[in-house]
Order: sequence, then C-alpha cells, then structure tokens
Amino acid sequence: MKTIKTIFKPMNTRFFASMLLCLTLVVSCSDDDDAPLPPNEEEVITDVTYTFVNDANAADTVVLDFEDSDGPDGPNVPVLNVTGAFTAGATYTATVEIFNSIEGEDITTEVVDEEPDEHFFIYATSLDMTFARAANDVVRTDGNSLGFETTWTANTAGMGTLTAQLWHESESVDDSTNGGFGSQTGGEDDFDITWNIEIQ
Amino acid sequence: MKQFLLCLAFVISTIGAAQNCTFTFLGELTDFHDGTPIVGAAIYIKTLDRYTTSDENGKFKIENLCNQEITLVISHVACETKTISFKINGDTYKAISIEHHLEELNEISVQGSTVKRTTVTAQETVLKADVLTKYSAVSLGDAIKEVPGVSSINTGNAIVKPMINGLYGSRLLILTNNVRLQDQEWGVEHAPNIDINSADQISVIKGSGALAFGSDAIGGVIVIKPRRSVAKDTLYGRAILGGQSNGWGYNFTSTINKNYASGWFASVQGTLKQNGDFRAPDYNLTNTGLQSQSISARAGKKTFESGFELYYSYLYNEIGILRSAHIGSVDGLINAIESGRPSIIRDFTYDIQNPKQEVTHHLFKATYYKRFNNFGKLNVQYDYQHNNREEFDIRRGELRNIPSLDLELQTHTLLADINLDANLDRKINFGFMGRYQDNYAPDTGVRRLIPDYEKYDFGTYITAEWQLNDKLLLDAGARYDFNRIDAQKFYRRTRWEERGYDVDFPEFVVDEDFGTLILTNPVFNFHNAAVSIGMRYEINDNSFITGNYNLSSRPPNPAELFSDGLHHSAARVELGDLRLDPELSNRFSVTYGYQNKSTKIQLDGFVNSITDYIYLRPTGVLQSIRGAFPVWEYEKTNATLFGVDLTLKQAISDKIEWLNKSSFLKGYDAKADIPLIDLPPFSTINTINFNVSDWNNLTFSLQSEWVFEQNEFPNFNFETQNPTTDETVLLDISTPPPAYNLFHFFSQATVNLSDRTTLNMSLSVYNIFDTSYRNYLNRLRFFADEIGRNIQLQFKLNF
Repeated sequence: MKTIKTIFKPMNTRFFASMLLCLTLVVSCSDDDDAPLPPNEEEVITDVTYTFVNDANAADTVVLDFEDSDGPDGPNVPVLNVTGAFTAGATYTATVEIFNSIEGEDITTEVVDEEPDEHFFIYATSLDMTFARAANDVVRTDGNSLGFETTWTANTAGMGTLTAQLWHESESVDDSTNGGFGSQTGGEDDFDITWNIEIQ
Repeated sequence: MKQFLLCLAFVISTIGAAQNCTFTFLGELTDFHDGTPIVGAAIYIKTLDRYTTSDENGKFKIENLCNQEITLVISHVACETKTISFKINGDTYKAISIEHHLEELNEISVQGSTVKRTTVTAQETVLKADVLTKYSAVSLGDAIKEVPGVSSINTGNAIVKPMINGLYGSRLLILTNNVRLQDQEWGVEHAPNIDINSADQISVIKGSGALAFGSDAIGGVIVIKPRRSVAKDTLYGRAILGGQSNGWGYNFTSTINKNYASGWFASVQGTLKQNGDFRAPDYNLTNTGLQSQSISARAGKKTFESGFELYYSYLYNEIGILRSAHIGSVDGLINAIESGRPSIIRDFTYDIQNPKQEVTHHLFKATYYKRFNNFGKLNVQYDYQHNNREEFDIRRGELRNIPSLDLELQTHTLLADINLDANLDRKINFGFMGRYQDNYAPDTGVRRLIPDYEKYDFGTYITAEWQLNDKLLLDAGARYDFNRIDAQKFYRRTRWEERGYDVDFPEFVVDEDFGTLILTNPVFNFHNAAVSIGMRYEINDNSFITGNYNLSSRPPNPAELFSDGLHHSAARVELGDLRLDPELSNRFSVTYGYQNKSTKIQLDGFVNSITDYIYLRPTGVLQSIRGAFPVWEYEKTNATLFGVDLTLKQAISDKIEWLNKSSFLKGYDAKADIPLIDLPPFSTINTINFNVSDWNNLTFSLQSEWVFEQNEFPNFNFETQNPTTDETVLLDISTPPPAYNLFHFFSQATVNLSDRTTLNMSLSVYNIFDTSYRNYLNRLRFFADEIGRNIQLQFKLNF
C-alpha cells in the first residue's frame, strides 16, 4: 500500500502545474514567487532549568540554568548559570523545565506527559552526592523511572560538576546502574549539559 | 519519409507516352549526407525480378519498361536497405539518396548492440551490457568501478556515489538517455537516481572533454545509453532474476523491445529490488534494508533522415541508513570509535526504519531530429525531471513521521544540437541549452539546509573534429555557460552576522521580522567557460596515443553556498559560504594503448590543477546543548590531483587470461600544503579468467581486490571532552583504515534454449573469506565494518 501511495504522491498539483508550464516552455519566470514560510522549529531546545529545593528548608534552593537563545546550530555560545550552592548534609528534590524560546514552546510536557516512554534522563556528578529517582517520578512502561523528579543528598563539601542528559529513542535504559544515575544504549541525546557546582 | 524523398527527387523528365515497352529508367544513387555517388549498390527490380548494379558514377539503367509501376529494392554494404516505387511514364530519370555512413553517423543501428564511443580523443571507457548485467542487483556506482580510476564515496552499502579520479558529486555529469540528471547530486549521501538495468552501455569519460553536455565536468562524465533500436521487424527482450545471500535480497528486471522495419520502436523496462539488513562478518548491519522500484518506457520512430522519441522513467528508492550511525552528538562518535562495533545490533529484518531516505525521480523527455541532405543533422530535445528527496531522522514525538529534509527539485531543459557531418573528415557540432530549475523545500520543522531557489542556465558550445590523415585525428571545442541562482533562505540572525554577511550582503535581506530568523534573497550570477583540445595518433596497427587538454569551470552548488546546520552521522556543523567563486580546472591527460593477439595494455595518466577548489574542512568547535560540535566550513583552495590508471590483459593460453586493473592517485591542497581528504588509496585488482567456451560458454573467474591503506591524509583530528568520563580525548576521525585484500569468485554459463532464446546462469561469491574490513571512502566507516560474504545466483533470459 505504501508503495502505491508513494508512486502517486508526487503527482500533486505542483507536478501537473509544472507539466503545463513545460508545454508553454516558459523559462522567463518573474520573481514573484511566494516567499517561503519560516520553519516551525519544534524540536529545538533553548532553555533547560533544574531547580533543587531543600526538603527541610524551602528557602534553600539551587538553580542550574542553561540558555542557548539561537538554538544548537547558532553561533552564540550557550550561557550557563548556577545560582546558589548545595548545603552539605541536606537533601534536595529537583525538577526540570525544558523550553524552546524560538517557538515559545514548553518541551517539558512533551517529554514528561506525552512521551515518557521515548525519553530517559541520566545524571552524573563528580561530587559526593547520593542520588535517587523520586517516589513520585514518572514511571515508564518498561518499569524504569524517567528521572524527571529526583532527590539529591549533598554529602561532603567540595567543588565539582553535575551533568544532566536527556535521551530519546534508546534501545534500552536502566535506572539502577551507576548508583541510580542510570544508563542507556543506542539513543540520541536531546541535551547533555555540565554545570560547575559547589557543596558548602 | 517516402514522400519526403519523392519530393527531393522531383526532377522528372518525361519524354513521350507511347504504349509499347521500350522505355528506359535512369537512376542516380547518391549518398545522403554528402552527395557522393554510391558505387556498386545492388538494385533488385521486384516487379521484373531482375537485378542490376550502380556504376562508378552511382548510375544505373533499366531498359525495356512499359508504362507501369516498378518497385526497386536498393541495398549496399553498410547502407540502410531502401524500397521505393516509381510510376514509369515514358523514359524516366530519378535521383535517389541512400545513406552509406550509418555507423559513422551514429544513427540507427544495423547490427543492434555495437560499442559506440561518445568522444574521440578523451579518456573514455565503454562498459557493455554483458558487463553491466553482473551488477543488476546493485547500483550504478558499483558497476562503473569496472573502470580503473573510478571509485566511489559511499554512505553505507546502498548509497554509492561515483568518483572519477578522486572527484565526485557536482564535479561529475551523469547523462541518462541524453538527459543530464538533476537529482541534487551535491550531497555525499545522495546517490544518482539511476536504475542500472535501464542501461545498455555506459561510457565513463575522465575529464571534461564531452563539452556538448556541460562546462562543469571537472571530474568527468558518465553517459548512460539505452539499447539502440534496430530497423527491422522484431520483438526481443530479456529478464533477469537474482538472489543474494547477504541481506537476503532479490532483484528482478525485465525489458521488452518491439521494433519495426519502418523505424517505429517501443520498449518497456521495469525493475524490482529489495534486501533486508546486510551482514558484516561479525554482526548484522541494522537498518540497512533497501527497496527499489523503477519503470521506464520509450517509443518513437527512427529512420536515417528523421525521427523522434518519447521517454519516461520513474524510480523510487527507500534506503535504510545504519541505525547506529545516527548520532546526536560528538559523544556518540567517541563511543563508536572506541567500541569499534555498532551500538545497535538487532535481528535481521526487511523493515526499514528511521533514519532512512525516500527518493522519487521522474524523468520525461521528447526528442526530434532531422537530417538535411549534404548538410548534417538537427536535434531538438526537451526534458523534464522531478526529484523528491525525503530524509527521515530519529526525531521526537509527532515529528517522527515527518522527514527532516524534504526537497522537491524540478528541472526543465531545452536543447538544440546541430551536427555538420557532410564531410566525415571534418565534423562540426554546435548547440544551445536553456534550463530552468526550481527547488521547493516545504517546512519540516527544521531550518532548510538547501533553501527554496530558482536557477536559470544558458549554455552554448561548438566542437569540431578533423581526421587529418590515416593516423592523426584532432578535436577541439569551446563552451560557455551562464548560471543564475535566485534563492530565498532563512538565516539565523546571529549566524548571518557572525559570517559577516550583514556587511557584505545587506542587499539580500528581505524581511527581518521573524524572531531569531531573517529572510534573505541571495542572487548570484556565474559565468563559466570550457575549452577542450585533443588528439589521437595511431602509432601503428597495434598502438595509439591520445592527448588532451581541458579547461572547465564549475559554479558553487547550493550546498556549498547555503549549508548551515548540523549534519547527523558526521556529528558536525557544516557551513556554506556565499562568497565562493567558481572552480577552474586545467586538466592534462595522456593515454597510451597497445593491443596484439594476446596482450592489451592501456595506461591513462592525468594532472588536474584546480583553482578555487571548494571543499569542507574543520575550522573550529561550536558549543551547544548537546556538547561541542566540530564546525566544518566550505572553503576554497588550490588543489592539484594527478594519477595513473592501468588496464592490462594477457592471454596465458587460449582458455586462461590474466587481467590487472590498478590505479594510483594523489591530491594536495596547495595552499595549506596538506593532502586532500577522501581520496582513494592505491588499489590493484587481479583477475584470472578460465574460459571453457566449448561447453556452453562456461567461464570461471577468481579475483583479488587489494586496496592499500591511504597513507596520505589531512589530519583533522580534534580534542573534545568525553561527557561521560569528563576526560579530554583526541578524536581520531582522520586515520584511514588498514589495507585489505578481498577475494571474489564469478562463474557463468550460457545455454541456447532455442534459435533466439538463451539462458545465462551465473553464480558469484563476493568476499569469499568473509573478511572484516573498513573502507576509507565509506562515510559510515567509524560505525561498522563493510558487508561480509555474499553469494549471488542470477538467471538471465535473452529472447
């Protein structure tokens, strides 16, 4: 069925219009063609924000922010901001917001609500932190927790990095490996961001 | 046609009108194209069952005729046989033209399939149907590697782009049935949309000597010709059915031709091919299936003096791209290079999933020619091509079923050619070309890599050929082409400014009111000239030498001008440059050929010096949400390529023959003083043929294909951060894979089923020892090995 469809698909009005055009052998087209429509760049991610809130003290927050206003292929260098520092001994709950500022589109809903089965978050840190996917995290059909709602316990003070990755279309994911940070095979990453953070 | 002849011959002298049978018919036979008398033609007077022949002045006399109608059948060696009737009314004189130089004039075929070169002095190799049949299951790019000096740049196994003397893409012209293929040839992963089974003959011309086709063939020209029609009442055709063990593929193709003595002809050809995932010796190559369908039909009438042809062809290809080669970031490339195995290996399937390509190509052509007495021939042709390319990536959400790249390219071309060949020792051809091309890219949710554009081309050329004496033939030609490209492209405002286009091309900006985007209307005019001078000298009966000088120029293509975006599978950002100039090539070549009863040698040497040679090279790193991507920019430099190709055939006994084909090529970027990237390494192919011709033409061949390691390559390696381990790694994307030596086996036998029907059976084994290897000229070489052993069985029925 597919092939039949493909055979006839190009035979659209454009095709016939141009066959007519060929009969008149018009080579002198004027430059009055319609301007192309701007692309709707729905896939682009420009902003990623992780907000960590201390379970014991809602005023103690750490915000990790990433912004690349001209998209992944624009020449602007992405801006990374870290607001606040983790308190040693405290446990934080983190949520993520993913946004496409070019099209004004919230990507979080797409990842978390519409297609959690296609996605998976993976984390890494060079610091001494205990990580878990939160009890209220979204659970994929295959039983793995997505990694959207996470809890982090900052153990010992120090300077280091925190990496967050979002993958899609993975062959397999596993939320139990790497101390719960997770791993995947065969997928493609939507983002892969490393912030410099501090535990005080 | 008869009426036309009669008109020509309307120089009637009529004497008397008596009823007795004493009249004389005087005929004068002349050669149509140059008016010389035809001597010694056999004239059969059908009505009287009598024969006569023409004398040294081309004249003949038939006496004792009544007032009656007579029918003459005139035949002569290498002429078309002509039947004409005349009414005798008294003594009658008729001038009759028949054509004596059918073969030289490249007109209707008398024998059917004969080798017909396209050029006279260029480095041209003609591949005939029997060779091409071996490649029925694969692609054009695979078949023409039969010619030493021809290689290919591949994306996986099914996307094979021909490369001549190290040059490919827009630097090669591909002509199919005299139509220049317009199928977005600029991309490395865009293979030519040709069904190899539609070809009866393929001419591979190194260099730009064939000026009738274009001025921009810096690398060469590939001319694909369908079977020539035969002027006799006949119905013939062929069918090929084959199966392959690797990928569990099958191919079926059939052609049926109907020809009439009157010159009418019609033919239909169709092909179906499919294969599932290929297999490398150690693993399945997941998502490398292919599905291909094509059909073509030709009909028309061809006589010596005039003719026309209508032709339509359709091709649809769905090609899976190795799943693990689709990577979102440099991280994927690091993993692929470090692990040495594809990251995704699944069970065999025929299903093709993303990433994949779907390409549809329609071609329609109408052509008409007319030959004028003692002058030459006029040929007029119109063709229309519609190419739709859809490339599907791994995308999120609902975009999954929408191609990332969707281009619809339509091309109209009008050609007029005049061949002045009244004097066969001094032929002159000239012609004009007008072309309009429209590229339309619908919104796919990704900023268009190749923008909407309109392109106008105008070209004119003249070529001449002199047979100075028995030994020396000269040819020369000149061509001029004008190209205008008028594009409408959205640029990211930051990119437009970063490139400095806001300073250099402010006039191109149309509308700035699109958020982060601006709409621009770049318009460029290019003037291109080409010159060709060649000679062929017959040293003696056994050997010849040809020499050629070609000047050619090629304007930058849309990819080179407008690219700006991320390229998956290469994990790099590719940037075009609006400031590029046309490339200018000076190519010198010499060929020496020697042939005797047991030995045949051909040596092709060339030097190609290209000014403003456009190529992609790494220039930096772009930080993004998915880590750092290397940035590759189209830049211009001066390049020099040179090489030698050898063909050697030596009969060892009457049954055993040894064949060697070797090619050596070097190329350098003169400005940066580094070797050029992606050049084929030295290769040598040795074949031993055993021919047991007394038993059903049974032949066996054993072949060794030895490809060396490319030891000269530019070092484009770069350092990057491995996000998983946080270590700095040097990513080796430059070092070519090691040398490999593959062994292949081929056997075939032909059985006569009846007078007119033969069955040819062939069994071949490709990569007998299931050797694992990687090919420097495969862009997916970082991700997987090439395919392993492939056993192929094929039946060909000629009827």
